Amino acid sequence: MWILSKRALLSLTTSIIPGLIFAQQCLWNVTGSVKDMSTGIPISNAHVFVKEASLKDVTDSLGQFTIGPICKGGYHLAISHVGCESQEFFLRISGDTSITVFLDHHGQLLNEVALLDQGEITATQQSHSLHTDHIAQYSDKNLATMLEDISGVRTLKNGSGIAKPVVHGLYGNRLTILNNGIAQGGQQWGADHSPEIDPLLANKITVVKGVGAIEYMGNSLGSVVLVEPKRIRKEPHLHGEGRYFFESNGLGNGLHLALQQSHKLFAWQAVGTLKKSGDKRTADYFLRNTGNEEAHLALQLEKSWSKKWLSRLYFSSFNANFGVLRGSHIGNLTDLKAALERDVPFYTKDKFSDAIGAPYQKVNHHLLKLHTKYSKSDKESLDINYAQQINLRKEFDVRRSGRSDMPAMSLRQVSSFLEAKYRRALAHHWSFKSGVQLNRVDNSNLPETGILPLIPNYLTYEYGAFGIATKSMKKTTIQIGGRYDFEQRKVAAISNDVPRRVIRHDKEYQAISAMAGMRHEFNQTWNMSYNLGFATRNPEVNELYSNGLHQGVSGIEEGDPELLKEVSLKHTWSLKGDIKGKLFFEGLFYYQNIDDYIFINPQDEVRLTIRGAFPVFKYEQTDARLMGFDVTATYQASERMYFKGSYSYLDGYDRKHQMPLVYMPSNHLKGSFNYQIPSLGKFHNVEFQVNSRYVFEQTNLLPSQDFVAPPAGYHLLGLNVSAERQLRKLRLVSFIRMENLGNVAYRDYLNRQRYFADDLGFNLIAGFNLKF
Amino acid sequence: MRKINSILALSVCSILFFASCEKEDPKKPVIPNEEEVITTLNLTLTPVGGGTPVEFKFKDLDGDGGNPPEISVGKLDTNTQYTGSLALYNELESPADTISQEVKEEADEHQFFFQSTANGLTVSYDDADGNGKPLGLATTFTTQGASTGTLKITLRHEPMKEAAGVSMGDITNAGGETDIEVTFDVDIE
Repeated sequence: MWILSKRALLSLTTSIIPGLIFAQQCLWNVTGSVKDMSTGIPISNAHVFVKEASLKDVTDSLGQFTIGPICKGGYHLAISHVGCESQEFFLRISGDTSITVFLDHHGQLLNEVALLDQGEITATQQSHSLHTDHIAQYSDKNLATMLEDISGVRTLKNGSGIAKPVVHGLYGNRLTILNNGIAQGGQQWGADHSPEIDPLLANKITVVKGVGAIEYMGNSLGSVVLVEPKRIRKEPHLHGEGRYFFESNGLGNGLHLALQQSHKLFAWQAVGTLKKSGDKRTADYFLRNTGNEEAHLALQLEKSWSKKWLSRLYFSSFNANFGVLRGSHIGNLTDLKAALERDVPFYTKDKFSDAIGAPYQKVNHHLLKLHTKYSKSDKESLDINYAQQINLRKEFDVRRSGRSDMPAMSLRQVSSFLEAKYRRALAHHWSFKSGVQLNRVDNSNLPETGILPLIPNYLTYEYGAFGIATKSMKKTTIQIGGRYDFEQRKVAAISNDVPRRVIRHDKEYQAISAMAGMRHEFNQTWNMSYNLGFATRNPEVNELYSNGLHQGVSGIEEGDPELLKEVSLKHTWSLKGDIKGKLFFEGLFYYQNIDDYIFINPQDEVRLTIRGAFPVFKYEQTDARLMGFDVTATYQASERMYFKGSYSYLDGYDRKHQMPLVYMPSNHLKGSFNYQIPSLGKFHNVEFQVNSRYVFEQTNLLPSQDFVAPPAGYHLLGLNVSAERQLRKLRLVSFIRMENLGNVAYRDYLNRQRYFADDLGFNLIAGFNLKF
Repeated sequence: MRKINSILALSVCSILFFASCEKEDPKKPVIPNEEEVITTLNLTLTPVGGGTPVEFKFKDLDGDGGNPPEISVGKLDTNTQYTGSLALYNELESPADTISQEVKEEADEHQFFFQSTANGLTVSYDDADGNGKPLGLATTFTTQGASTGTLKITLRHEPMKEAAGVSMGDITNAGGETDIEVTFDVDIE
């Protein structure tokens, strides 16, 4: 489900028969074939529409179609096949025309990335993508919950609206999220902070289950999430799409609009999303104050100055209010114990409400990116990127005397980033890419809270340089790379004892990372890869300097200014292939050692305050080992029917203390049955799916490592139906999805709300997408 | 190639230029006006009909964490009725802020709870919010025979005063956030 560049996609051969052209005679035919992108096998039952002429055809068993007779002129063609990302393009016809269109049919079976770009992070590392059609059908989800569809990806949640992705057991500071090539700034350290990215602005979201991201600044100790914005198609006409969805749980509504046009002078695109939902519901009761409101916008301008110079301007704005379960706001350990003993949280009302009150989070994130590319030739290019990010986070708590309207935490982070990247193809199939980068982060607390800040003000300068060499031979791709980073950090904190005063810390860090990877294609269908990555991560300010009561966890957290950087070595092995085009298999095994792994360790000490006694947690270091695998198998039972199953296993181990690591995802098993019908009445590409997900209990944990035992395993069933229809120039995709069909009451180990309440009950989502 | 080299050189230079700049400091943090903090709880028990008041005091000047609190207690007489008066202060402010006033103004959103393990010690509410539900800044303490034990004073913000037993002083179903939870040793002789 990948769209190649237009040139590669469309091998267009126009044969004009001289002497037979009569103006406005409608006697031309468009013929062609539809093939699978990765194997070249013809695809039958693909639908081909010529919109302006209202003509259509369905490909035969050889993937061939014929449309005509048709007049001379410009036409929009849409080619679609059930389960594939559809293709649309503009074609000028002045004679009999023959085209070949490639669709990525195999991609759906494994969510694989079909095309590997030389020199990119995906050259040897395994990656999985969600594409625009998939994103459209899951418009109700946020970035993290959308990614849960990919095996090995889980989410760390705080209720239902706030979620961050966990890949191979790593999240937050250890997982880099790239928004349009720029490492996402903001307060990623907080376990209850979701990444401020609207997934609906994306054309494609990729998870690289890898060993590091040499090319990017940031703290990745392994995997990377890449969010790529919608591309502007080279179409002279105004195009766009509108989406709407409704969800029964929380009575949520969402609207999404996208418009784009390629002028001769420049190309533009504008994308916007609005979402609102009220209190969500578990199997048995409403979760009070769990609604959210979101409004996001993205603008893009693209200008080709010449054949060699191209500039792009990208602006995105993320604005959201996330309600937090009222019953999860607690004052001390006694309150937590009382909450743990209850089946239904305090403050539960038996009436739905869409009001959002304290506690809630108000988040704004703005990104401005300027990209200029100079392509000397196909073999040599230079990219210059400048990016500015502003992140505002206000968290409101239930407070006395009208102070609930005053944020309890108010942070502003301004990041400025500049980079230059140079890429060149060399002889003997080698290509080389290198770059220099500069990042400045200014993080400050806004003095409006009346509360001692949890993390201090700081200012960091980071300088980095990297080089990556890739050799792409016919069957084997090799990649090696290294990067060096230097970081200067100045911190200004407020003392925890009285009289309050400002304490300053200056720190400098150096970091080296390196990777080597190999990918080998045994034949057309089987390939394997091995990657080795060495990476380091500097301790974050919360780990170094936090000092005080962390309300959300009812504990006193103490940072350690002497913490060292984490050092990681990760191996990944993967194998992928199919047997006779029927049984598809993919497996990925990883083994990662992280020395000086920073974690929060409960102490024996209990500290007395006027609010009662609190347990003390300290940031400490140990040596960790993360080991696991993700396996996926798909069986194509017939042309219309396939089964898919996947299993993810992870073992997190503290090598120093010989005990489990906390907050590791438990193992999970997923399965689905899919049935596809090429045509059904006026609809085509009709797809039915029944899916099932079993999440095992996290048994790899000692009783002393949590306030309560991890929740039991759970099984959820889902149903999904989607269908397409061509309405002259409009293309309609509609869907109905049901989640937690059995309305099961369950709790998940990675959801912090589990101390207080059950997870979400039955949900029905219905929506449509109209493209023109 | 020359063009690309010069652009590359330019960008490297500009980044190095950035790097060589004298680094400015982060914004100086504004020490917040922590007007919400409760540092001190005073419970004064005055014998009904006159006598020397007995004082119970819990004081933690640096708020959550930091140094341990100072706790002082008084002795109670047997078979005596006392008029109880609670006062809360924020001594981080100068002069000290009287937090009990804030609590009084939001009486419907607050309630004190008194749990005693000392035999025969009972506490009853002498004040109420606008809805006639108890608050607990003003109380009556009654002792019986000689005994020792503890007295736990809890202040809940946004308790469910309608829930079973709550208006009788039973904390079990109260919910809400704990703003104060202090425990004193009690000696009745």
